[in-house]
Parts: sequence; C-alpha cells; structure tokens
Amino acid sequence: MATLEELQARIQRLEDIKEIERLQKIYGYYQDYGEWQKIVDLFTDNDPSVEEADRGVYKGKEGVRRYYIDLLGQGMKKPRRPGILSILFQLQGVVTVNPDGKTAKGRWYGFGMEAKPIASLHEGELRQTWINGVYENDYVKEDGKWKIKNLHFYLTFRTPYEDGWLKTPVVGQNGPDPNIPPDAPTTVYAPYPSPYRVPVHFKHPITGV
Amino acid sequence: MTLEELEVEVTRLEDIQEIENLERIYGYYFDTRQMDKIVDLFSDNTESVEIESHGKFLGKDGVRKMYLGAVGGGARKPEDTAQSRPRGLMGVITVIIQIGGVITIAPDGKTAKGRWHAWLAESFPFGGVMGQYWLHGYYENEFVKENGKWLFKKLFWNTTFYTRFETGWLVQPLVGFLPMPGADSPPTAFYPYPSGYHFPYSFPHPITGEIDQPVFTYQHPMSM
Repeated sequence: MATLEELQARIQRLEDIKEIERLQKIYGYYQDYGEWQKIVDLFTDNDPSVEEADRGVYKGKEGVRRYYIDLLGQGMKKPRRPGILSILFQLQGVVTVNPDGKTAKGRWYGFGMEAKPIASLHEGELRQTWINGVYENDYVKEDGKWKIKNLHFYLTFRTPYEDGWLKTPVVGQNGPDPNIPPDAPTTVYAPYPSPYRVPVHFKHPITGV
Repeated sequence: MTLEELEVEVTRLEDIQEIENLERIYGYYFDTRQMDKIVDLFSDNTESVEIESHGKFLGKDGVRKMYLGAVGGGARKPEDTAQSRPRGLMGVITVIIQIGGVITIAPDGKTAKGRWHAWLAESFPFGGVMGQYWLHGYYENEFVKENGKWLFKKLFWNTTFYTRFETGWLVQPLVGFLPMPGADSPPTAFYPYPSGYHFPYSFPHPITGEIDQPVFTYQHPMSM
C-alpha cells in the first residue's frame, strides 16, 4: 500500500496532465475567435517562443506578442475581417510531465476547417480550407499554474475544400512576414508531400526507447 | 496533505472523467437512435435544452419533446416496448464527434459546466431528398450530481454551420431553418457563420482568471 505522500505525488501527476490538456484545448478555443491577447496571456513571461508553419520563430514574451497581436491580429485595431472562420480542433494529446513536475511536453494534432484569404494573411479572396498539422509544445509550471513555454505547429496541409491535399497541399502560407519579421528563421517547414515526420518527444511506452 | 484533502482531489478528477463519459455516451446514443436513453441522461430538474434552430425547450418535458419528437427521427413508435431494438431509418446517420471538453466543476462539487466542439457527418432526408452534410457547433452544457451520478441539467448546441458535403461552409453556411413544433421559445442565439458570433466560454482564463464578457453586435445578413 502506497503512503499518503506517494499517493499525493501520483494524483498530482494526473492533475498536471489534466491541467495541460485543458490549457491546450482553451488555447484552441481562443484561436477560433482570434482572441490573441488571451492567447499571449497563456504563455510564460520567461523566455517563451512560438513558431507556426513557415512564419519563422518569434522569441521572448515580446516576440510572442508581436506574432499574435501585431501579425495575426493586425494590431487588434479593427475587428476581424467578416467571413473569416477558424475552427482548429486540438486532438489526441500525449502529455509527458517531467519527473520534477515543473516542466512538460505535449504532442497534438491540430485539425480543422477554415475560411481564410489565400493571397495574404488578411487580404484576398476567401477560400474554404481543410487544415492539419502537428504540435510539439513545451509547458512550464509557475506559481502552481501551467503555461505555454514553446509552441510549434508543423503544417501538414491546408487545402481548398474543393481540391483535397493530394491535388493542392498548401494555400495561404507565404513565408515570414516582411513587416513584422520573426526573430529567427523557420526551423522546419515540410508539408505534404514531404516525407518529413515531426519527431515525437515521448519515449516508447513499452521499450522505453 | 491529509487523507480528506486527497479524497477531495480524487473526487474532482473522477467527476471530470464521469462528465467526459456522459457527454460522449450522449453522442453514441444519438448516433444509435436510442433517444429514450438520452432522455434518462437528463435530470428531472432540467433547466432547458436547445439544439440548432429547433428552439428552446424547458424542463424534462421539453427534453422528451426534443428527443422523442422530430429530432428522434422516428426512433420510437407507440407500439414499441422498452425491449424493442432501436429503430434505424434506412440511410440516416448522425455521427457526432465530440471534441475538446473543458469541464469546470463548481467548488461544492455538485454542479459543473463544460464546453465542447461537436463536428458531425450526417445523412438525412432533408426536404424529402437524401443529402450528406457537415455540421459544426459548440456545446456549452451544464451538469448536476444527484445521488452520486452526473446528469445533464442544461444542453445548448450553438451551430456554426450546417452545410452540404458538395458545397462547404463558405458557399452555403446553412441548409435551412428548422424550427420544431412545441418549443417554449425561438432559438436564443442562432447566428451561424459568417455572423462572427462569439458563444461565451464557461471557463475563466487559466492564468488571468478573467471571466468571458464577449462584445457581440449581431448584424442581420440583410443589413450587412
């Protein structure tokens, strides 16, 4: 029979996994509605980063703010363009809490349905698209709360509804923004049909390799 | 930590798992047309149920009207007994994929709220012609624990789109308006894409604790 302390540690680990899953799912709900300030507030103040598709790496809390507020939110100075739809399911989390209980990693699918402009991030004709990609994220626990440390979304496809990923793997993805540039170049960008597979952070559950 | 405090924590984790299962089981019963079993998932003190543009139905009687009426699609007939097999309709499917549960248990452990995506693949004889549809919407549901079991207290599915497989949400966000007879009120917030409607979150911000107070001014499509 486990001692009270041992039981407490095991329950704490279960709670940490639940909290991180909740954090990532809430991130998804905020993204659906373009609530970029609320997303910035989900990141730690201590040296966070964000990298999505081929937009480059944005570093530090200021970089995270520039990415979500200035780039994706266009400075949040005017309402989001009518007709934009963003539904990005956060699916199948595999969350690994490190033994010290202070940091964690998580892998997810981001799969969804969008209506977005294809010529640039904010202008041009709206197209309806299917999108899929993989997250490999880092989390950190500060003052009893789990926060996002590093977020990395690797795009697999963003295809027009009418075409499918075989015919048109990616539309509406145009590299680093010249006006709100990233702090470092894109590390990996290899959508379909690339043979690249995003490395898994977790060890094999049986063999431990 | 004392044994009593540990028990509180374990109960909270179990409550979240029970509610996750309840929501998923609701979907599987819907998919398999066991509408009478859905009715039994609701508390006798149910507040309301509202789905799509069907209207808002109050109380447990409203739950029966919703699921044993048109939404049930002929799931039960008067001659059916409790032992009858669920009655499927040829060609009708309702695949309800429930995604992303964020469940918040009240401090007293007796009530809870939860948000989900529901993503549906459906076939239904709409207007007498069989069609294939994609649907999306968000649930904001409420639950109550009675005699140790979690039940639905309120169910609200807020539609984003209801489109034909052949067209998609951009081309045709809504196949039609589907009011149901016997509703206690018209739909309370039926603003499908591209309205930009923000269906309020039941959860506070995980870090700042901010409560969701969305600003939304609905513009009628004819005035846009």
